[in-house]
Amino acid sequence: MPVSVLMSDFDLPTRSASGFILRYIAPRVEPVQLFSVFVRRLPFQLSAPQSDIIIGVGHGNADSFTGYNEAEILEVGKYDPREVRGKVIKLISCQTGVELGPDLIKNGALSVAAYVDDYVWVCDADFASTPWADALAATSLMPVVDGLNALLDGKTARESFDIELEGYTRNAEVEEDELVKSCLEFNRENAVLLGDPEGRIRARPKLPLPFRLVPPPPILVPLRG
Amino acid sequence: MDNAEFEKFKEALRKPATPEAMKAAAQAFAQYRIVQLAKGKSSRPTLVNLGKGTGYPHAVPVDKIPEQLAKNPEFYNLMKKVVAREKS
Repeated sequence: MPVSVLMSDFDLPTRSASGFILRYIAPRVEPVQLFSVFVRRLPFQLSAPQSDIIIGVGHGNADSFTGYNEAEILEVGKYDPREVRGKVIKLISCQTGVELGPDLIKNGALSVAAYVDDYVWVCDADFASTPWADALAATSLMPVVDGLNALLDGKTARESFDIELEGYTRNAEVEEDELVKSCLEFNRENAVLLGDPEGRIRARPKLPLPFRLVPPPPILVPLRG
Repeated sequence: MDNAEFEKFKEALRKPATPEAMKAAAQAFAQYRIVQLAKGKSSRPTLVNLGKGTGYPHAVPVDKIPEQLAKNPEFYNLMKKVVAREKS
């Protein structure tokens, strides 16, 4: 069964967040992986109905989640319920837990993990071509990756969500930079899990060790802004 | 030391977004960063967010945060939420 992974990549925040998914999640899952210019409504419409999990990175607000250059992917009242029915959904985006998340559940999604306010973090712009190597961004984004890996290991939505929250707490406790720490605490407070907490997907095999050590090549596509 | 500077910044954010409060918060953050930079932190730290249609930029280099705080009430209110945990 395919997985819909949407990795917007056109500005610094989408590059930073998608970089971590590209490095740590994408190698573990089957296509369809939509990256950069392919994160648009039509490819999503074609891939989503066959997926058991949807993982999305992109800008968002209370009622919509967007892809490349903020192209609408999911907007309250403007998608086919077939695209989300029975699926475990994780949206790494701002505020999508406010209206879009409950709407996805109403339309049949098994569970939705999202955020009810902005998702903010501090990244190092010098790592724009190798975002997965950015230790500053990792404090906020590795808890997301750990939660997603738990889902792919076959854990429930609740267990995976708790792993993400524990990651924020653990990193905040040892963080020396007060701004980074504030961001971690803010993201933890605004993370929400909607729908069935026992929702789970088919477990995927772990990536064999040699492949875990090999990062993707640098991303040389220029960023907007 | 840097915690004390950050607490001053947090206190400055507790006021409504008036030009005076925004300027005071900008100065407090600039002072905090002077202390942080003296400790040799990473090269180009940038505060980023995944918001859509917000009144503030998606990416603000940390050394430009005082500038945004002083001129942009929406950004001031974002920092108020993130740092001081207060809704505007």
